[in-house]
Amino acid sequence: MILQVLLDGVLIGGIYASCAVGFSLVFGVLRIINIVHGEFLMLGAFTTYWLYKIYGIDPFLSIPLSCSLLFIFGFLLQRYVINRIIDAPEIMSLLLTFGLSLIIANLALTAWKGDYRLVNPGYAGANFKIAFFTVPYVRLATFIFAMVALAGLYLFLQRTDIGRAIKATSQNKDGARLQGVRPSMIYAVTFGLGGAVTAIAGSLLSMSFSVFPAMVGDYLLFAFFIVVVGGMGHIPGTLAGGLILGILQSLSTNFIGAGMTYILIFLVLYVVLIVRPTGIFGKGLV
Amino acid sequence: MIILGAVAPLGISGYWLRFITFIFMWIGLAGSLNLLTGYTGYLDFGHVAFFGIGSYGTGVLMVKLGMPFFPAMLISAVLAGFLAIIVGIPTMRLRGAYFAIAMLAFAEAMKQVVLEFDGITGGGNGLSLPIYTNYQFFYYAMLGTVLLLIGTTYGFENSKFGKGLMAIREAELAAEVTGINTLYCKLIAFGISAFFAGIIGGIYAYWMTFLYPGDTFSVLITMRMIIMAFLGGAGTLLGPIIGAAFLATIEEILWAEFKYTYLIIVGFIVVFVVLILPRGLVGLFRQRILAR
Repeated sequence: MILQVLLDGVLIGGIYASCAVGFSLVFGVLRIINIVHGEFLMLGAFTTYWLYKIYGIDPFLSIPLSCSLLFIFGFLLQRYVINRIIDAPEIMSLLLTFGLSLIIANLALTAWKGDYRLVNPGYAGANFKIAFFTVPYVRLATFIFAMVALAGLYLFLQRTDIGRAIKATSQNKDGARLQGVRPSMIYAVTFGLGGAVTAIAGSLLSMSFSVFPAMVGDYLLFAFFIVVVGGMGHIPGTLAGGLILGILQSLSTNFIGAGMTYILIFLVLYVVLIVRPTGIFGKGLV
Repeated sequence: MIILGAVAPLGISGYWLRFITFIFMWIGLAGSLNLLTGYTGYLDFGHVAFFGIGSYGTGVLMVKLGMPFFPAMLISAVLAGFLAIIVGIPTMRLRGAYFAIAMLAFAEAMKQVVLEFDGITGGGNGLSLPIYTNYQFFYYAMLGTVLLLIGTTYGFENSKFGKGLMAIREAELAAEVTGINTLYCKLIAFGISAFFAGIIGGIYAYWMTFLYPGDTFSVLITMRMIIMAFLGGAGTLLGPIIGAAFLATIEEILWAEFKYTYLIIVGFIVVFVVLILPRGLVGLFRQRILAR
């Protein structure tokens, strides 16, 4: 029984990790807390929903589309709006992204109403059994996709030129400039990239959870928990943080009661902030 | 103007009395946030938690222990301030962004606590307080709190302590180097700010007579506090007053017309303030007047 709970936790943790990695990346490179992150999740989820509802496109296939759309959106948003306050005190970026999130979330609410929607293609509820585990197909598939997305992002940053330019900008902006990197372009690309990954996460989420404009609330908190525990700006840490959150939530919901979950999450967050603010691997930015 | 404010409730009708009491409440809430955010630069995304603790604390003490209003309110407010300091200790040692979202998590957790311990707090069914319909009392209570708050803000503006806070806001590392114990100062400001939010929460609870966790701990309340403080001008004496009065009035007008879309307009206001008026309306006036 407990192994099943752990498995559920791991499967969902992987998805949570993919939700948080965009947030971590943006913070690591642009040094801003991006409250609009939640909206990217929501928009990715809705893109998948509408493509499914109107054109009958399978949710997994809609991922490249939601991903590209939100990359463009993120890129433009950063280039023309957020970039204006990139050098201002942190509180300004918090406020700005907060205001933007209000606008986007409420536009979505006005346009699409607050009803809960679900994406459920034919194979939605099916599962298979291995040994004594029950594994839902959709969860497993979304988990695999999330892992692929995370690995893809990580490799992109490590191996490609743009990726290295991004890392350089986050480590030393002026040094990077001297090497011919244009920070404003990098910021825009990074933000777009963060948005794209988050859109993938949103699309994946839409297959397991309800989709509605206000869905962002919890996920933003989860993302924050994950990046603090895993280390802000450190991608492998985000994976670890995601898994921890997933397992924690699964254990808490099954053995203690759903209500205590938030309190537990907050307590763990609190303790981590006191004891090890740089995250498990100690590589987080503080 | 103070005399006008003191005498007014004797002559005005129910709707206006209620409306102005509301404005006082929001001036108080925005002002309490301003004590922290305006002067130290630390944005608190979970400030509603202290409002909620003040409300529910007062409610529970009055209902379960039969305590009269004033002691219940004061104890709850002190509790709020105390919790602020406890939560502040780990979170204020890091950069402001961590503090902001950790506070959001705290507010959510507090809401959960209220929901979980529903034997005491009534949980999802809400909590009913003893009824007291002397609305003029609440008017004066809110007004009194606001005056106290303004006095405290004035104290912040002009005292060595306040200047220390502003130093923290502008250049924290430099402030620490000049001998200001930044953590200590931040915690005190935070505690006082939470205390005021708690008082307002207590008055609100008695006034409304009924508390419901979703509303009392709503993140919308924090949002409005933040917007009011920044629209008016964070870190100024008049800022929260102007911001609260302005936004409350706009909301009252817009809410009737555009029930849901007004939040979009509010979002635009925030973006506008950040990009164009970072010092708020007060800052705008100062620029115009000083520039002459």
